[in-house]
Amino acid sequence: MAHKNTYSLSKIDSLTTRVLWIFGIVSASFIVLISLFITVRGVRPFITDNNGLGNVDLWRFLTDTVWLRGPTFVSTAYGAGFLIIQTLYLAFLSLLLSFPIGVLTALFIAKIAPKPMAAMMRGVVELMASIPSIVFGLVGVGFFLPMIYNLARSLGQQSPGGNGTLGIVIVLAMMSLPTITAISEVSIRAVDQSLEHASLALGASPTQTRFKITLLAAKSGIFSGAILAIGRALGEATAVSLVAGNARSGPNFGLFSINSTLTSTMLEGLKETTGIDYDIRFSVGVLLMIVILLTNLILNTIKKKVGNVHV
Amino acid sequence: MNKTVLLTIAVLITLVLSACGGADFESENINVYTRDTTSGTRDGFMRGIGFNEAAGSDDVLVDGFVTSNNTGIMSAITTDTAGIGYISLYSVNDTIKALSFNGVTPSVENVLNDSYLLKRPFVFMHRLDFRNETEEALTLAFIAFALSNDGADVINDNGAVATNTSGNWSSLRSDHPICQQDNSAHTLVFGGSDSVTRIAEALSAAFAPNCGNVQTVNNHTGSGDGWRRTQGDQKDGVNYSHVGYSSRFFRDGELETDPSGASRFQIAWDAIVAIVHVDNPVDNLTADQLKRIYSGELETWGDVIND
Repeated sequence: MAHKNTYSLSKIDSLTTRVLWIFGIVSASFIVLISLFITVRGVRPFITDNNGLGNVDLWRFLTDTVWLRGPTFVSTAYGAGFLIIQTLYLAFLSLLLSFPIGVLTALFIAKIAPKPMAAMMRGVVELMASIPSIVFGLVGVGFFLPMIYNLARSLGQQSPGGNGTLGIVIVLAMMSLPTITAISEVSIRAVDQSLEHASLALGASPTQTRFKITLLAAKSGIFSGAILAIGRALGEATAVSLVAGNARSGPNFGLFSINSTLTSTMLEGLKETTGIDYDIRFSVGVLLMIVILLTNLILNTIKKKVGNVHV
Repeated sequence: MNKTVLLTIAVLITLVLSACGGADFESENINVYTRDTTSGTRDGFMRGIGFNEAAGSDDVLVDGFVTSNNTGIMSAITTDTAGIGYISLYSVNDTIKALSFNGVTPSVENVLNDSYLLKRPFVFMHRLDFRNETEEALTLAFIAFALSNDGADVINDNGAVATNTSGNWSSLRSDHPICQQDNSAHTLVFGGSDSVTRIAEALSAAFAPNCGNVQTVNNHTGSGDGWRRTQGDQKDGVNYSHVGYSSRFFRDGELETDPSGASRFQIAWDAIVAIVHVDNPVDNLTADQLKRIYSGELETWGDVIND
């Protein structure tokens, strides 16, 4: 009896293993499929003559400061160099805003807030993470753009209806805030309590302990949150294009000047366009994937260098 | 230290709240808003003001122009006192100020009586030779429907100004006995201009239940294909179409296949309106002024007022 049972259990084991293998392969092949599809379409403008228009110059595409010189559907002089710079600039600027707020909120939820309040705050953060990006965009358009416009005027500056850098940064910061908060909170709670007790026993105040021991010990997890947040900021299209003003040349750095990102440029007019002007958006997609991959690699390297603290 | 911070915040808030009276209007740069180059409204606007190069090219426009969609331009112009944009006449409301064009107020009336000229026509033509009589009868029934009061309602509901009201379909329907029978085995193919896609699809959708549930296919690729696929060189190929739309009047070469003109109709006008903030003192702009604003020659609102 016992023998038979063991036999059937091992059979179930091998079956489960096989099923898990299949699921793993299926989900991995999605990524391969997407990458292949985007790359095949995205390379086309550079290697074909685009129905007689001539091929797109790769060097110009990577470096030029104007999106398109000449008429749409006729010219192939596309340039996305300024978009790379603007995309990175906007993502890091938004992190500058969301990182301190997110980490300090996480510290509050994990260490200071009374239990019922912490539970409520956690719910709010989860809710915020599930709000679709278009809603953030609409809040940006309806609420923040008029405010930014008035702020600019009060500083004696002109702003195109509030569209531009500051609007994008605020919207992106709002969107990446729940990611940073949730992940930081988990890693702060995971910090070994004996570390904190030791600090308190040595005479450090609770505030000193929270900032110098808890946050420091949790920095690897906090850094992971920041990396995920950067990923979200780099890839966001809908909300950004609603508040960007979609500059067609650049790079733009001014807080009140219009701006654009790789994704907002992909989205602009996507549904109405055809031919080379459609295909080139896949090339921008490939560029975006490379930018995100490189950024993540660099940030992960930094994380490994600075984050190796005992947790 | 704390007091300084509080004071700074208080000053900032006061500044933000009292901002509306800020800079001197006439010295402000004009903030130019535009649709992107794939938009039919942009094409109609730029050609309407005589700035044909800007219909397809961004690099001839003034530096720092803002690209946005219809709602984006509307909401920006409600806050931006120095902004200028353009939208379809259909979208005009009292949150923005609609400018007169060459001295004529934009209104449905002025569009129809040909005094408001910032507009483009929506026209269509049907083919002359059909594969069979049923398809011919169905095509003619569709044309009659599109030109009827019911067709006009569909067109007006989708943002254009209908030019025909030839009676209610309920009374016209008896002229088209084909619509009494079940037509679900037949398919009508529509093509041509992509700026009329929304109206054309709405017309197809409204027509089918009124004519024995005939199947419809809308395949819009550009005004040039309106003629090419119904009466031109592609009329018998894979792109065989029954009705071809165009968002400009048919040109000389396209008129030759039917000298009588009996197969061509205008269905609507698409009127485009330049809009500014409600506090903007400017009421009227000429085509030339609009062109110089969009090209950057007129830089400030003072330049426009003193022009």
